[in-house]
Amino acid sequence: MLVPIFTLKIKHKIHPRMVTVGKYDGLHPCLTCGTTASKVFVHNPHSPAIAGGRVAVQDSDISMLTMNQSVSALCAGQLDPSNDRDVLCIGTQTNLLAYDVHDNKDLFYKEVPDGVNNIVMGKISSVDVPLVIAGGNCTLQGFDHEGEDRFWTVTGDIVSSLALVDFTNDGHNELLVGSEDFDIRVFQGDDIISEMTETEAVTGLYSISGSRFGYALANGTIGVYDRSARYWRIKSKNQVMAIHSFDLDGDGVPELITGWSNGKIDVRSNSTGEVMFKDNMTSAVAGIVDADYRLDGKNQLICCSVDGEVRGYQTDKSRLLAVDANRSNDNMRDLNLTKQNLLLELRNYEREQGPMKKEQFTPMERVEGGVIPASTTIATELVIEEKENPCIELVVSTNNNDTVVRMVVIYAEALYEGESHVTHPPANTLSNKIRVPIFPPKDSAIELHIQAFVSLPGSMNFHVFEVTNHLPSFSAYLYQQSVPQIPESCVSFTLNERVPRVGIWMTENFILRHEIPCEESIDAHFIALRGGDLVFKMDSSGQVQIHTDNIDLAGDLIQSLASFLRLDHLQVTAHFPLHLDKLNSIMSTVNGLQSVTQKLAAEMTDHSNLIRSLVIRAEDARLQGDISNMKKGYIEVQDLNRDLVNGYKVRSANHQELVTSMKLVNQIIQKASHLRVGKYKAQLVTQCRDAIKTNKHSALFKIIQSGSA
Amino acid sequence: SMDPMFMALSCFRRRKFEESTELCSKILEKNPYDQVIGYQINNVIPHPPQAAWALKARSLTEQVYIDEVEAEEQGIAESVMDDSSVAQISRPGTSLRVATGSSGPSPAVRPVSQSGRPLSGFVRPGTQAGRPGTMEQALKTPRTSHTARPVTSASGRYVRMGTASMLSNPDGPFINVSRLNYSKYAARPHLAKVLFEYIFHHENDVRNALELAAQATEQAKYKDWWWKVQLGKCYHRLGMYRDAERQYKSALKQQVMVDTLLLLGKVYQRIDQPLQAIDTYKVGLERFPDDRSLLVATARVHDEMGEMDTATKWYKDVLEEEGVNVEAVASIAANYFYTDQPEISIRLYRRLLQMGIHNVELFNNLGLCCFYAQQYDMTMVCFDRAISLAEDEQLADVWYNISHVALGVGDNNLAYQCLRLAITSNINHTEAYNNLAVLELRRGDVERAKSLLRSAAELAPHAYEHHFNLATLAESAGDLQNYSSILQSVAAFPQHMDSKNILQKLKQHFESL
Repeated sequence: MLVPIFTLKIKHKIHPRMVTVGKYDGLHPCLTCGTTASKVFVHNPHSPAIAGGRVAVQDSDISMLTMNQSVSALCAGQLDPSNDRDVLCIGTQTNLLAYDVHDNKDLFYKEVPDGVNNIVMGKISSVDVPLVIAGGNCTLQGFDHEGEDRFWTVTGDIVSSLALVDFTNDGHNELLVGSEDFDIRVFQGDDIISEMTETEAVTGLYSISGSRFGYALANGTIGVYDRSARYWRIKSKNQVMAIHSFDLDGDGVPELITGWSNGKIDVRSNSTGEVMFKDNMTSAVAGIVDADYRLDGKNQLICCSVDGEVRGYQTDKSRLLAVDANRSNDNMRDLNLTKQNLLLELRNYEREQGPMKKEQFTPMERVEGGVIPASTTIATELVIEEKENPCIELVVSTNNNDTVVRMVVIYAEALYEGESHVTHPPANTLSNKIRVPIFPPKDSAIELHIQAFVSLPGSMNFHVFEVTNHLPSFSAYLYQQSVPQIPESCVSFTLNERVPRVGIWMTENFILRHEIPCEESIDAHFIALRGGDLVFKMDSSGQVQIHTDNIDLAGDLIQSLASFLRLDHLQVTAHFPLHLDKLNSIMSTVNGLQSVTQKLAAEMTDHSNLIRSLVIRAEDARLQGDISNMKKGYIEVQDLNRDLVNGYKVRSANHQELVTSMKLVNQIIQKASHLRVGKYKAQLVTQCRDAIKTNKHSALFKIIQSGSA
Repeated sequence: SMDPMFMALSCFRRRKFEESTELCSKILEKNPYDQVIGYQINNVIPHPPQAAWALKARSLTEQVYIDEVEAEEQGIAESVMDDSSVAQISRPGTSLRVATGSSGPSPAVRPVSQSGRPLSGFVRPGTQAGRPGTMEQALKTPRTSHTARPVTSASGRYVRMGTASMLSNPDGPFINVSRLNYSKYAARPHLAKVLFEYIFHHENDVRNALELAAQATEQAKYKDWWWKVQLGKCYHRLGMYRDAERQYKSALKQQVMVDTLLLLGKVYQRIDQPLQAIDTYKVGLERFPDDRSLLVATARVHDEMGEMDTATKWYKDVLEEEGVNVEAVASIAANYFYTDQPEISIRLYRRLLQMGIHNVELFNNLGLCCFYAQQYDMTMVCFDRAISLAEDEQLADVWYNISHVALGVGDNNLAYQCLRLAITSNINHTEAYNNLAVLELRRGDVERAKSLLRSAAELAPHAYEHHFNLATLAESAGDLQNYSSILQSVAAFPQHMDSKNILQKLKQHFESL
């Protein structure tokens, strides 16, 4: 059990994930949280400056900041390199404000049309000053302290978490981006250097130490990665509200702290994931930060709940002893358990061996005892079933006819919802073979962990075989002699590689029944399980053409091929008429929407000014006791307000449409960049950005097609 | 005779706008060009009507032109329902909402205006504006005829200042704004600018002006800083301060202009970020060293924050550059007067006299300065002049000040009569009520004193004196009901020791009960 060293009750609600701490005067940390009515409060118990003059109020250690728009992200940190005071960055759905709390002034107030879902502050390797990086709908935007746009790139979906981690252990931070398409992408400058696919939207990322970082998913999973290798993960039925890392037991190794929606806080070892300490708050955890809140030179871990309860925990070396004691007890118990299991197993073997020496079993006895022939093995195979509904089937079979496969359990991440799948056919259809249909939802390589339960027919005791099989990345494409119509869209590029090497790549990444001819050239046709056709052509000069209407697939193929052939850079010509048409129509709607937005905004302010004056007049009438005039005034206010609400609805629909359109544009840019490898990828993104900034639509199309302006 | 177009131009240059307008109207009568321009734009139009049209628009604009930088008034609606500032409670010295900077003399020495802000030496739009706590307070305090504030600056005030749109024109309006085709005008920058100024200043139709500016800046490929500044002005008037800020900043990137800097500073003052405004001016001063208007603007911000010493320093800088700046001289003089150096104030006020300023307030101040500088021979002469120049409302102040002189020489009767006269001229003169109450008390008429103090407290909840007096009076009578008065006194002047003592006593008393 964790005992807090201080607890506070703040009389304000705290919005989840909107907790940060900043030293706005350069010395005293102030807890800063988003609260109801689009406000942000700053808790400042230390600085005497707040009292004095006329400002002193009863509740003097809380000061309120108004944003006028609902706050969507908060972060405090150093931004101005010439100043050691922290800056508070507040993100809303349309704007980003960098605010100097100490001096009550803005550093900048920027329009961010893609919205701000997450903010992180710090240095990244490609820019030499600290940046505030805002993640919105598919975009990442970095500003320096003057509000200059210093960094811009796109990502696959809505950004749901951000962190700065020294992923490559080179002393410079890389930007980790978790998004709603389940990916964690690692940006070094503008390049994506690594990509990890998870099973749900990534809602939390936090640097632990070095290249190690913790993550949290929307389905209640938390875990730790070191670079792109996962150390551990656990799943809970509760929602993860916040993750943080802090060295609570003073052993020099930070632990992963998790705050849950049921108010639980648990502290896990970052290397094993085992729970070391836990505590419970009365309501859901809103955020976890660390700061020297008692001004004693040591940082405390500060946990906030949504009801405004704040608890601080201190690093304490004595905890280490408790953990050690616990650990030795645990070890003892584990060893005892293993011993028990081994003894049980040994007894089983003895029983099996014993009678064998004396006499053969009767078949009846064998069934009851669940004894299967010792030579039984299990085989798994992926086959493509070409019925009217083509699909992949996993065939699990034994090598003899005496036994039956009673049940198959498959564990595979991202393949099934809930990550596992159980097949147990009715008793009358049992055979030595089970066929499990598989529909891969995504084009990614998947490890299948298969448990097959094997027994003699009628037996109640089963032997469990554990095997693994590998589902290649592009298993959902079935090889055909030819497809009826070659898709119009295609990408083409040139490889300096022999054709057979590409042939090897194909065999590794597709399920092929036969070797495809690949001496001189490749001409492979596939139909996709999820619809659409794919044609892959390569001639002896190294010219490659991939025909598909699915731009994501083309990108995945190119990325996979590039990593297999270890290509650093690859420029690609893309021809996607459908996508370009769509882009064209989106761009024209965006232009229309933007001009309307301005007009609507002016109209609304005009209305709201009018309402204000009407309210004042009505109040004036009230104070003079002129009730009939007051009534008149308020009726007018009501009418005007109705107009205003209608105007708001129009404007909000307009804005929503704009956001969606912008998101689609960003997604198309991201997909186009995914078609390129290495420096061309980054180049495409920057050039597209410039084209959009300067409103040159034709240039945008050209960049997407040829990869450069 | 002379070519009418040349004549009109000449009149315009000599600022005879009405004559210029008439001449242009005559030209246009012969060769109408008025509303048709929108539709005839592609035809060949003879040159003069177009020029005459533009000149007429300019003349009309010039007649009602008010500098946007100087014209600023915050209405009650804006100050009470202010939703553009970020911090609701900010650190002292970082906000304009209350005069939190504590440099300069205390309210005991330098009286405060309604807003709880020290009296400034120079009245300009905005100096009266306080940021009251509640709407009721805001509505109640300025109920007197001399202190009334507009309900909102977005509607009423500007119409009052630029009265053109209220004037009816016998032949209908010169340009029918609602019928204009903006995109055609926007394509012709020389006409568009004239038209914009006409719509903005003369017609006071900000929304249409905004639309024209938006189209014109688009036509100019976002490369004309002038249009950006105009867009900013429109947004500013509409109360969209963040948009205004964006436009001004974008304009400054293309072309640094003093005007733009001043306007940007005003936006920051409006969203209650005075330090940011000062920073903006400082950036401007680096580019335009010792620019007078930037120096004055900086001084004003300090003044409004209640940082009298810093403000005075800046006003002195202004004077180094421009020895005849009335605002700076008057502000410095007021500061010297309230910091016990009336001799220096006399010199400064005399300088104003030399510069040809000849009004009640100046003589009034000179009279007071002379009295406190012991130049008794000049005192009454100055007040005489003031009385002869004064109108009713100013008269009250003069009599009130004479009462001070009378008190100073120990003539209580004269003081009593002066205060009576002050109240006769202005029945809302709270200071006079307060002082009269004290005199009544000395005569032993406690009830009358009390009623006078009560009316003072009702009229001016922002000052502390009458609250304190009321409380002391009640205390001497053993009345414990003075708690609320003393609370108000402490709220108006937190450092006031005597009020605090009484409050302490009362608290002890209540606790012992």
